[in-house]
Amino acid sequence: MEFKQVVGRRRSIRYYLPFRPVEREKVQIVLEAARLSSRAVNADFVQAIVVDRDHLSEEDRESLKTPTTTAQLDLAPVWIFWLIDPTAPRIGQTSLKQLVDVGALTPSHGWSHAYVDNVVWPQVLQPILADPGTAMLVAAVEAGLAINQALLAAVDEGLGTQLTALNAANAKRILGIPDHLVPIWIQLLGYPAEDPEAGGQRPRSPFEQIYFEGRYGHPFERDEMVVERLRADGMIMSEAPYPWRKEEVRALSRMFGLPE
Amino acid sequence: MSATPMPVDRLERLAGQTTVTAWLRAYDAHWEVSQTDDQVRSKLEVLSRFCLACGKEPDELVAWLFRETPEGPRIRLKRRRRVMALIDEFERENGGRPAGNVVRSFLIHNGVALSAAPLR
Repeated sequence: MEFKQVVGRRRSIRYYLPFRPVEREKVQIVLEAARLSSRAVNADFVQAIVVDRDHLSEEDRESLKTPTTTAQLDLAPVWIFWLIDPTAPRIGQTSLKQLVDVGALTPSHGWSHAYVDNVVWPQVLQPILADPGTAMLVAAVEAGLAINQALLAAVDEGLGTQLTALNAANAKRILGIPDHLVPIWIQLLGYPAEDPEAGGQRPRSPFEQIYFEGRYGHPFERDEMVVERLRADGMIMSEAPYPWRKEEVRALSRMFGLPE
Repeated sequence: MSATPMPVDRLERLAGQTTVTAWLRAYDAHWEVSQTDDQVRSKLEVLSRFCLACGKEPDELVAWLFRETPEGPRIRLKRRRRVMALIDEFERENGGRPAGNVVRSFLIHNGVALSAAPLR
């Protein structure tokens, strides 16, 4: 699929074909995409555990749910538990020097082993590590970058996918997750039972209300020619709800015996 | 959904409860439908049986599932789990999944987030 179509067709899918397994190679591709995301300090801010829904006991499955994460967990055959690591910059002194050595961080931009040892490590990374709030903020952003690539890769592979909340304490207990890692999301994978467009692109705030040029509050003017091109390329699609969406959801609810 | 219909006055009392009115109105608005009298009566029959089974009237049941906080009402999660289990038990003995989903729909449209295990 073309990149713009992948972006345009991504939805949070909440109805999956529960009987159709996901090919292992597709799961690997999703993980590979996450592994290659942009990341500060070239550190592993995010790790993941892939779990087959049917390998969890019913009791464990139930204990991982929150009030708003319900039937979709039972429907999706593969769950990826994304874990963030606020301590990831601890390897920064080594990983940054490695980036210098491979020519990613260059002397022409001021980078050297001495700069890493004498400035970045003591004055930037150690203070981040010493402040749990800042460390968590940095880790959350870096994890988000990786997880988004995983979402887009899933779409590119023709899968339905969604991030869903979880009971983190129970996830740690059930999956043996070390204390320094924080379960942040479950990414569901499966083949969609609903139309992959899931009723249309979700409403968004007007472009010029959230993007500015030059200074805050001065709108970045949206060029309608560009919008038209993105429509033609499949990135901008019709906005939800499609006229038949409620009928679709009712039919899905009845098919799976879910409440209306 | 049951061999013995509920007395009409019982259903009328039920229909007059605030949460029942809110449910029926919200259901119609969300799904853009207008339920027939027969459809409503059928749902009230089921809800009435559930209320008898759990020992609480609709308004009382919904109120029991929330607690007031300075930030607004919060769902009592342990009670919610108990009610979910009660619904599962109720539907096994009273008309299966469609009956259970009537009760779930009533709670959902009164702000109690829950679902059912999908049939698969």
